Amino acid sequence: MVRKLVISLLTLCLFLALAACSGEDKSLKGLSKDEKSDKGMEVIGENVKFDPNKLVNNGETIAIELWTWGGKEVFQKQVDAYEKIYPNVKIKVVNQPWDDYWTKLPLQLKGKNGPALFNVHNSYHSNIIKFMAPYDISTEALDKDYIGVTSHVIDDHVYYIDYAINSGNIYYNKKMWKEAGLTETNIPTTWDQFIQVAEKLTKKDATGKLIQAGFNFNGETYKAIIAGLGYQKGELLFKKDGKTVDFDNKTTIGNTQMLYDLYNKFHVGSPDFGDDSTKSFGNGQSAMVYKWGWMQGELNNNYPDIEWGVFRIPTPTDEVPFAFDRYNGESTPGINANASREEQAVAQDFLKFILAGEDFGREFSLFNASFPSKRSLAKDPDILADPVLRALAPNVDRYIWPGSFPSAVETQSGRVFEEIFYNGVDIKDAIKAGQKQMEKDMKNADFETVESKYKFYSER
Amino acid sequence: MLQKVKVTSFNLLLVFFLIITVFPFVWMLVSSFKTNSEIVKIGGSFWPEHFNFSNYIKVQENFQFMTMFLNTLIIATVITACVIYTSSIIGFVLAKYKFKGRDQLFGLILGTMMIPWAVTIIPKYDMMEKFGWMDSYAALIIPSLVSGFGIYVLRQNIMSIPDEVIEAARIDGASEFYIFHRIIFPMSRNAISSVAIFQFLWVWEDYLWPYLVINTDSKQLIAVGLAMFNGQYSTDYGGLFAATAISIIPVIIVYIIFQKRFIEGIAGASVKG
Amino acid sequence: MENVGRRNNSIFTLKNIVVTLLLIYFAVFLIYPIGMALVGSFYNWNPMNGTFDFNGIRNYTEILKDKLFWTSMSNTMIFSIVVIVFRVLIGLLLALALFSKLARFKTTFRTVYYMPTITPLVAVSFVWVWLYNPQFGLINDIFGLDINWLKNKDTALGSVMLMTIWKDFGYATIIYLGGLMSLPDDCFEAADIDGASGWEKFKYITWPLLKPTTMLVAVTSLITYLQSYIQILVMTEGGPGTSTYTISYLIFDEAFQNYNFGTASAMSIVLFFFIGLLTLISFKLTKERN
Repeated sequence: MVRKLVISLLTLCLFLALAACSGEDKSLKGLSKDEKSDKGMEVIGENVKFDPNKLVNNGETIAIELWTWGGKEVFQKQVDAYEKIYPNVKIKVVNQPWDDYWTKLPLQLKGKNGPALFNVHNSYHSNIIKFMAPYDISTEALDKDYIGVTSHVIDDHVYYIDYAINSGNIYYNKKMWKEAGLTETNIPTTWDQFIQVAEKLTKKDATGKLIQAGFNFNGETYKAIIAGLGYQKGELLFKKDGKTVDFDNKTTIGNTQMLYDLYNKFHVGSPDFGDDSTKSFGNGQSAMVYKWGWMQGELNNNYPDIEWGVFRIPTPTDEVPFAFDRYNGESTPGINANASREEQAVAQDFLKFILAGEDFGREFSLFNASFPSKRSLAKDPDILADPVLRALAPNVDRYIWPGSFPSAVETQSGRVFEEIFYNGVDIKDAIKAGQKQMEKDMKNADFETVESKYKFYSER
Repeated sequence: MLQKVKVTSFNLLLVFFLIITVFPFVWMLVSSFKTNSEIVKIGGSFWPEHFNFSNYIKVQENFQFMTMFLNTLIIATVITACVIYTSSIIGFVLAKYKFKGRDQLFGLILGTMMIPWAVTIIPKYDMMEKFGWMDSYAALIIPSLVSGFGIYVLRQNIMSIPDEVIEAARIDGASEFYIFHRIIFPMSRNAISSVAIFQFLWVWEDYLWPYLVINTDSKQLIAVGLAMFNGQYSTDYGGLFAATAISIIPVIIVYIIFQKRFIEGIAGASVKG
Repeated sequence: MENVGRRNNSIFTLKNIVVTLLLIYFAVFLIYPIGMALVGSFYNWNPMNGTFDFNGIRNYTEILKDKLFWTSMSNTMIFSIVVIVFRVLIGLLLALALFSKLARFKTTFRTVYYMPTITPLVAVSFVWVWLYNPQFGLINDIFGLDINWLKNKDTALGSVMLMTIWKDFGYATIIYLGGLMSLPDDCFEAADIDGASGWEKFKYITWPLLKPTTMLVAVTSLITYLQSYIQILVMTEGGPGTSTYTISYLIFDEAFQNYNFGTASAMSIVLFFFIGLLTLISFKLTKERN
């Protein structure tokens, strides 16, 4: 009995191992050779152009991969449209959760079998730029169609650009807002007003235990907001050399103190109530949170029952600040320089396809609730109908981009938050330690800030 | 009288630990039938208002859980089968043959159990890339064909088989291969069961390696899948409970089937050290 | 007895084939990687930007100066020692209880105790994350507490240890049970004739006879726990702050988050020697006492 079992298992083993060794997954199944170069379609695009009337890969079948951490549906739609034009091409959209994505993608790109196309986030710029091939599109044409292309030019080449810009807003629960007797006119514009509103939105039970947080900034909020709070007061994130991070300063300490007071003086929330502010808001246990554009998709997908609104981030005074917040670009996909020449060619062509058209920019902007950088989309009715984008739209030029600084800044800020709020470390000490660690982690990064390119830089 | 008190207290102790052991499992299983809002409700009750299977259905629809489950089952079975075979044949050679450097070799094998995964994982990753095994099951199977632990357990076990058995077979004209396959192998059943369960579990719960070498969702193993699911649907507690239940239950079933042999095998290996 | 396989003179004997294959396998999947790691630990090695520059013992000196490395080391030590002690104690206690003639339903108990050990660590860690959840977790509910277990620097490491003890005590129970069953009956009979009490029997007979079993449990546990990282990855990610970093989690972090393969390799080599040293010491200790 045992012997039979073992023998059959071993046979299976051998069979599977063989299958596994030869099993490349870039399946060409269902593809057919393309012989007609004239598709009878019009050329798409104003300056960046896509001409469908040609053969891709000489009409031979080919499959490539496109990796992303989100927006799979948006990509898939573009892919479907593209595959319809070219029956010999298959683009497989692979989705990986954010954390895994950045662990695995760089390793993949290093090898030969990495994805030909991949979604880029500029905070990981230095990890992946070595593996990227420049766009086969003229910089001039890109510049005419998209805002902010010049800051992405490296030695006359473009490796990715921004299809949209993203920043933070305050999301609030409309039902709680009403319950607390608040109306549209109570929407706060300064932090003092904000604190008052937050206090009204906080609920405790008879024993004084928190059951509803007025403002919840647990989890990822601190690292997202702290630089922006600095900019509001005209404090830059980088020192004069443009390379050394400037985290340990009076402004950071003051802003952290304000957040600390929100919990420990005004008691509008607690580090232990709703560990993760996103979930806590979604589950209807926190009234306000500070989030970036992705929150919209999160709420729509996972918490369809929550009725929410958005308002602009408050500022220290009623005067127009140096900047409301920092923004970050949402990047267009990158091309893998280690992919085969054929794969790269398909990737370049697909890229032209999505950049020349408007659907990709519009849909991805809406998906991320970020403001499209394609000039032709600035007044798009769909874009302006979005609540988050409406909150950003009036002041879009009052948001500053520090450049794609290394993720160490955010990672260490997050740690500083935990040290202060959970481990009881003194604010000054924690920030000082954070500064030290950031400098250490960024030692090898070749990064220079573009803060000085900000439109209102001279106002400082 | 005293005897009775003793019996009660003894069994109470055992029951106490039984409850502690079972409780998290029960809670997980029960919660997997709750809706998300019921789980996150402050001051909710232990039992769901009504049992619903929607979490399980949802998990399956959103995520290729069944595929990952089957992948893991196949890979775990294959690796386990191979390891059983290699362990027992190596264990046999180390136990019943005398040759130069044998004890050193056995020492080396024991030593491999001490090497932290961290030491070898980076170069191994590099190797997989050079061999072109990335994203294929070869990367999962081939580096785990030999297990120090398995060899150790099997060697200890085979040592206890009397030499006369082997000699008798030889006199009857049996070949070495015959002796191993027909005599030694069947006689090591208990040890094999215990190695099998451990090995199966190790593959089943291995996280880092499959995470690094497998990229395609449809090829992924369940422990990684579970973590990925958690990353992607971190807000859907109901789904998470269901997914976790799915990843735990099969191992428990395998274990319950083999548990008698297994416990004897483990016990056998431990004393003859 | 060891000369059974002497008579076959062909090169292709079972023995030769097996030993050769084994050696090849070891060379490829063990010797080579260890060598690579050792070499890499002397280099500034970052595969992401293609750096591979010799920098002598810089990696090692920097690790030894790094505060986080020492935090991780001490966390790892605390974690390992506490978990091993509890694992041994609970394991022994339950094995004795199960071994005694007084226990009922022995098979059920032993089957159930072993269950957590055979469930995947990733899954179990998730379950415990939820058990500890301050909003809907069961632990606060049951004990009427309001503690954010995994986000409090005083409880976080302890909470992870508790989960690990829960998961692993069954293994020790089974091993001890095996040890007990193999003890010779005549020792106990002699002791019974001498009228020894239960405690005396344990102290003078059972415990000394079980020493090899205790060694087995302790050493295997040590090797496992010094390398624990999955529960940290899932439950705390090293936080709050850096208060639950363990050495293996730090290595994972350095290698696959920061891509400092050189530093990570140096750390793993240090860990390797550390494990080797501890194992040797524990073997020495038991030998001397015997």
